[in-house]
Amino acid sequence: MRLNYIKLNNFRIHKSSEINFSGHLNYIIGGNGQGKTTILEAVYYLCTTKNYSSSPDSEIVRFTEKEFEATGLFSDLTENKVRVYYSSEQNKKYYFQNDKQIYRAASIIGLFPVVILTPGDHSITQGSPGDRRKFIDSIISQASDTYLNYLLDYNKTLRHRASLLNQIKETGNRSLFGQLDAWSEKLIITGSELISAREKFAVGFNGYVSESYKIIMDESEIPQIEYYTLEGKYDGDYKERFRKLLESKRNEEIRRGANLAGPHRDDFIFGINGKNLKTYGSQGQHKTFQVALRFAQFFYLKEKKGKTPVFLLDDVFGELDSKRSVRISEYLKLVGQAFITMTDFSDISNLTREEDDLIIKVANGAVSYG
Amino acid sequence: MQIAQPLQLAIEELSKLPSIGTKTAQRLALFLLKSDIDKVNSLTSAITNLKEKLRFCSICFNISEEDVCEVCLNHKRDRSIICVVEEASDVIAIEKTNEFSGLYHVLGGVLSPLSGVDPNSLKIKELLKRLESEEVKEVILALNPDTEGEATSLYLAKLIKPIGVQVTRIARGLPIGGNLEFADEATIGRAVINRINL
Repeated sequence: MRLNYIKLNNFRIHKSSEINFSGHLNYIIGGNGQGKTTILEAVYYLCTTKNYSSSPDSEIVRFTEKEFEATGLFSDLTENKVRVYYSSEQNKKYYFQNDKQIYRAASIIGLFPVVILTPGDHSITQGSPGDRRKFIDSIISQASDTYLNYLLDYNKTLRHRASLLNQIKETGNRSLFGQLDAWSEKLIITGSELISAREKFAVGFNGYVSESYKIIMDESEIPQIEYYTLEGKYDGDYKERFRKLLESKRNEEIRRGANLAGPHRDDFIFGINGKNLKTYGSQGQHKTFQVALRFAQFFYLKEKKGKTPVFLLDDVFGELDSKRSVRISEYLKLVGQAFITMTDFSDISNLTREEDDLIIKVANGAVSYG
Repeated sequence: MQIAQPLQLAIEELSKLPSIGTKTAQRLALFLLKSDIDKVNSLTSAITNLKEKLRFCSICFNISEEDVCEVCLNHKRDRSIICVVEEASDVIAIEKTNEFSGLYHVLGGVLSPLSGVDPNSLKIKELLKRLESEEVKEVILALNPDTEGEATSLYLAKLIKPIGVQVTRIARGLPIGGNLEFADEATIGRAVINRINL
């Protein structure tokens, strides 16, 4: 899949911008606050109907204006025209595919797969287990509807069970224990599906990450992803372990009125040459790992979905030395089409560029080609 | 715009019914206006009968004309099997299949700690009582395959098994006569995981 063209009206700093993209690498260059990242934001918006940062639609509207619009032309086997229009007066968003209004956002999701690397990715390697679960869940969910359904079912079970635990805590009513047993059983059944899917994913994804890391770094560093569930490393007999763990936590769960055991507390430990990245990794190793994770996500989704995702890289070269930057730009050639923002022209002078690559300059919301 | 008051009243009452909007209500009201008085009378008496003559069966809590419903009174039905459902509408759905000749038990809902539905607000005690006094050998749990329905099934299974009654759950999978390509991914995914030997 390729994105050939976008047009932005009153989209943040862009009053009216039209860009024709290259099917290869598109370098988007400009100073801070000039509207580079906004272009990636708009592409992401067209692919998913959502904003990747959590800012509301009303904030995307250009200052003093009342509406924004973004149009994109994708080509795959056929050409697809996608348009988003938002009016702050109606506080409503309209989404059109080939000039036909789409009422269910869910029918768009997965149609234009997208992978985005942002400076916010530091939370994946440096943040909490919750950040890593969110990252992993989003990849598996994109590839498998069955997984997404189990995840929603599990989260609902957690909410019911927490409510029940709180009732027991407040009333001390022992007759509620029978219900708790049933909800625990439900938690184990659905949770076990998540554990088995995550383990299977972690094993497979490890290969993708090693491959990506090897290309960006030297072969001397080997990355690992280890799946931790139910307070320890994964082993085969997780159902029985889940049951025992719940039993041992029972009193504490009631005392705190919270779910204390299950895959909602899983973690994925990243390591390099057997050493824990979070504890021992340098800033450069963290950044390299984050980049490798997104490349791995790209190739994983490409293979699972049989469709090439749009690859967006926001300020990827900022914290990396020139050697690694060059390797990444070489690696990007295997991706096909990608969109890369950069603050400095000096960054690009180091990179190997092909004839088909495009340089897009952005200054104060205006676009020119370099 | 002026509409005769009786007509307006009929439209408003009709539009309170589920899945009836104002336009449909208007069409229905005008249709009734044009109909013979006999036809209208038989409709109103059918509706009044519904409220006056029907109640819930004292044994299975299905809809019934008498204190005990026809299914529970019918001696041809297999008294060793009870099918547990959420609502009376589920009884109608299963009866239509003609595949089940046992008895029913309508729970009146499913467990939901979030919305405050506990076992006491469902007809669970009544079910257990039936299992003790009757010659029941099997209980089929036919609750909806959602989060609450599954948790309720697990809860019931734990209560019923110690009594020495077999507990089964209805199977889930692809609709009969449907095309594989039109089923949603989650259903197909689970059907593949829960495949059976031939």
